[in-house]
Amino acid sequence: MDRVASTPAKMVLAVLVTCAVSATALTLTYEMTRGRIAEQQRAAEERALKSVLSSAEEFEALDDGLLEDAQEAAGEVQVFGLWVGRDATGGPQGFAVRCAPRGYGGPMQLVVGLDRDGKVSGVSIITQNETPGLGTKIMTDAWFLEQFVGWDGTSIDTASKEFDSISGATKSAVGVRKGVIVAGHVYADVLAGIEVPEGGGGQ
Amino acid sequence: MSEWIAVFKRGLLIDNPLTVLMIGLCATLAVSTKVEGALFMGLAVIFVMTASSVLISTMRRFVPELVRIPVFIVVIASFVTIVDLTMHAFLPDIYTFLGVWIPLIVVNCLILGRAEAFAYHNPPRLVSADGLGMGLGFAVVIVVLAFIREFVGSGEIVFMGTRLIAMPSWYRGPGVVMLFPGAFLVFGFLVAAMTALNRRLAARKVEPIPGCTLDEGGPS
Repeated sequence: MDRVASTPAKMVLAVLVTCAVSATALTLTYEMTRGRIAEQQRAAEERALKSVLSSAEEFEALDDGLLEDAQEAAGEVQVFGLWVGRDATGGPQGFAVRCAPRGYGGPMQLVVGLDRDGKVSGVSIITQNETPGLGTKIMTDAWFLEQFVGWDGTSIDTASKEFDSISGATKSAVGVRKGVIVAGHVYADVLAGIEVPEGGGGQ
Repeated sequence: MSEWIAVFKRGLLIDNPLTVLMIGLCATLAVSTKVEGALFMGLAVIFVMTASSVLISTMRRFVPELVRIPVFIVVIASFVTIVDLTMHAFLPDIYTFLGVWIPLIVVNCLILGRAEAFAYHNPPRLVSADGLGMGLGFAVVIVVLAFIREFVGSGEIVFMGTRLIAMPSWYRGPGVVMLFPGAFLVFGFLVAAMTALNRRLAARKVEPIPGCTLDEGGPS
């Protein structure tokens, strides 16, 4: 076949041109999808926050210094965000902690809501990669996430003894429990001690 | 045109990438737990497979032999990244389900294997038939596999949030079907069925397949 010979110059040229074209195509795709991807992620997070602390209207992210303290309290589980939830008049209603304990199929992104006294007000799973039909029961069996409501964040190690797992999905269920325990520790060690300004009508 | 159809049909049946060549199995066994996810995985593979083969075939005269593999990889990886970003933006739930398996299409040996064995040596017209046929052959098998596993394992088929069919409510599926050993078992039965079908087809007269001057070998 009359194919170009493998001389050094032609080889370099072929690879260079291919890479340049590919980079251009990828830049265009990235630019076109970037806005939507960020929007999707924000919307998913927003939905989760609302569902774990229904009394709050707006969520204000807490600053990075507190996030570092929270990470220390959480140990090996990564903490991705801390929020204070406020109602329509700006009064603080509670907190939300986003963390990623390990399930059966890798880290699961959870949001745990805690009211001002540190009682768990709700748990929501943003992303998970558990076995469909087995591990996914942590999301489809409604009673499972509801059992965490009311656990006391200030004595979470005691509260977490009252735990019903799911047979066939033990690793996923225990992973979620771990996330709630972490949120309790974050509350006890960090959030309980901070002064939350009453706020001037949600900013 | 008959040449085009012959090449296209080969990917579906006698050279089906999954049940005959048995390449690209890793992703197949992993994502075939849900019809929804398997369908979009299949579509992603059809797109990447066809687009990258046709592009490689179009530029085959300008790619020196010694650097062909790096060029193939760049082309394939670019199309996969395009699929990855687009799915992330428009189908977030399915993107989350497929997870790492979308970026891993880059190293699916089905696509690189066809680029090397077929696309680099044949004109774009025939290559488009090969890409579509192989892609479709992959998609059909992965969807059938996912259908059996989801239906038997979880007792229902849920597609885009709607329940399509369900077993009676007393049904409790064998959970193993959802796990990796179950994937191997179900896949084994599929291979057996496909082999029987291909035997029957081969008993009839088979015309020689155009574009196949090379011995393309087995799984790479």
